[in-house]
Amino acid sequence: MTPLLSVEDLRVYFPSGQRGETVKAVDGVTFSVGAGETFGIIGESGSGKSTLARAMVGLIPPTDGRIFHAGQDIATMSGAEFARHRRSFQIVFQDPNAALDPRMSIGQTVREPLDIVNADSRADRDRRVLRLLDHVGLNPELALRYPHELSGGQKQRANIARALALEPKLIVCDEVVAALDVSIQADILNLFARLQAELGLAYVFITHDLGVVGHVADRIAVMYLGKLVEMGSADQILHHPLHPYTKALLSSEPLPLPKAMRTGTRIVLEGEIPSPVSPPSGCRFRTRCWMTQDKCAEKEPAWLKYGADRWNACHFTDFNRDGEASDRAPSAAMPPAH
Amino acid sequence: MTATQPLLDVSGLTISFRQGGSDVAVISDLSFAIQPGESVGMVGESGCGKTVTGLSLLSLLPPETAKVSGRIGFDGVDLTKLSPRDMQKIRGRRIAMIFQEPMSALDPVFTIGQQISETIRAHFPVNAREARERAIDALAAVGIPLPARRYDEYPHQLSGGMRQRAMIAIALSCEPRLLVADEPTTALDVTVQAQILDLLLALTAKSGTALLFITHDLGVVAEACSRVLTMYAGQLVEDAMVDDVLTRPLHPYTSGLLRSLPRLSAAKSVLPAIPGRVPTNAEWQAGCRFVPRCSHALIACDAPQLLRGEEPHRVRCGRYSELSLPGVLP
Repeated sequence: MTPLLSVEDLRVYFPSGQRGETVKAVDGVTFSVGAGETFGIIGESGSGKSTLARAMVGLIPPTDGRIFHAGQDIATMSGAEFARHRRSFQIVFQDPNAALDPRMSIGQTVREPLDIVNADSRADRDRRVLRLLDHVGLNPELALRYPHELSGGQKQRANIARALALEPKLIVCDEVVAALDVSIQADILNLFARLQAELGLAYVFITHDLGVVGHVADRIAVMYLGKLVEMGSADQILHHPLHPYTKALLSSEPLPLPKAMRTGTRIVLEGEIPSPVSPPSGCRFRTRCWMTQDKCAEKEPAWLKYGADRWNACHFTDFNRDGEASDRAPSAAMPPAH
Repeated sequence: MTATQPLLDVSGLTISFRQGGSDVAVISDLSFAIQPGESVGMVGESGCGKTVTGLSLLSLLPPETAKVSGRIGFDGVDLTKLSPRDMQKIRGRRIAMIFQEPMSALDPVFTIGQQISETIRAHFPVNAREARERAIDALAAVGIPLPARRYDEYPHQLSGGMRQRAMIAIALSCEPRLLVADEPTTALDVTVQAQILDLLLALTAKSGTALLFITHDLGVVAEACSRVLTMYAGQLVEDAMVDDVLTRPLHPYTSGLLRSLPRLSAAKSVLPAIPGRVPTNAEWQAGCRFVPRCSHALIACDAPQLLRGEEPHRVRCGRYSELSLPGVLP
């Protein structure tokens, strides 16, 4: 079956001000997302995940590589064709405030996509707006309100209503709950789950929060400095990570558990993510990896398949798997969900 | 814990801000204590008054608009009674503070080194050369490589993690007795957060500095603190040892906060979110402020609630002894 979204060897480079340097924000990424699926992408700031999010929905043109929406290469579409096509591929951003125009009422904001498409009568569009607000759990009376009159959670619901207006098949969610308080975050995550069950939506869920991605995702890709380092089912990535970066990421997360239950050994990485202007040679993670060897600087590890839809890029994956994988796996410290 | 004199003893702290002719309450009758060398977390959602509490401990609230009453006892002295001049001798020297966003807390037009030296010279009778040496030592102590060179660099030349280290260096340069850390790792990536947490805990343990760790992240509290204060709508609702509150919270809000963490629910299940939303200051009621969202509320809860229970576990819930609430374990 044709995947709903697929990305092939995608590269997005930006020129950087001084000395004609190039920021390689996304540097050769390949994956696909099926209908109705939730695909999680985790990575730290500077990993290129937000650039990838924007490129996926056609907001940033790729430097190289291809993006397919329902099997069709979006670069080969005409302007009109793409305009029609992109309705099925929406995006919701991190900051619910910045994503709303302060001078437009919530109703106008949610109606705007419908106005642009201009399919129905004005009265039908207004009725549709009220249904959308109700659908995302907002009181339809809020249609007349302005963003500053709404709480953070309500604003994010309005953004979601707008993304739903044109009945998309896929929504890219770029850190959509990062700016929200814990109790509101749970509400919004529940809303995403309900909409998926009702409408059969697919999500690409981009986040730095391992708790969030573990809760929502079917499959997870781990991104580091413009590249994927590991990809697999949520269970594989969170409970049986192969890549040293994934292991370090999992073990760095502070868990809300009593002392006696926090048994996993923490791997504290040295340093910070290097600049995407001049990424390290060979394996990009080698400058922070605790098991790096000469080979890592000389040769870039290949993106290899390990079993059904399990991918990884590390020279020493077999060593990981047979040697330290079990006792290093930090997520084992978390009790099984009930 | 021994019954020594607490380092910090806050009692009946009440803070309001003058806004358009009326007073808006932000902190109501807050009382807690911190022992010397103790690491205490303060958790709660945006608007619960965490940051204002931290700022008030250093008299950093704007005096024109902020009205502070109650007692902030520090080493036996009531800080609210001190003159600005006397407070200046304590601020930075005995009590220091670090903030969430190191880029806005550091001054962009001075070098990192100048900012540390300035603090040292404000509190110790040392000359510029000695201050420089101490500043370089402070940079080395927080794990900044090539500290002598970093001394002459500006904040924008450092990465986010390095800037936070520099801020910790400034805060700890005068060996304060209490460090107020307001969301110091929130803006950092999780791998860098782990470094900074380790550093903070190692340095404060070494110097015996007490820590008030303000955060919204319960995982960070579990890792960094022995005791935790839970704030809701300007009130302290629970004060307990971290392990106790994680396994057996006594306040329905604390329990709700823990249960809503995605980590603790089965993947894809419906998260037990707390219904409703945090009340605005104007909506604060005389009784329990959590009533509109609480599934255990009775009519009696509309009466003012005091902190009850026995040390070290106090809770502002009239029903705490009848309720059995889930923590991180079901």
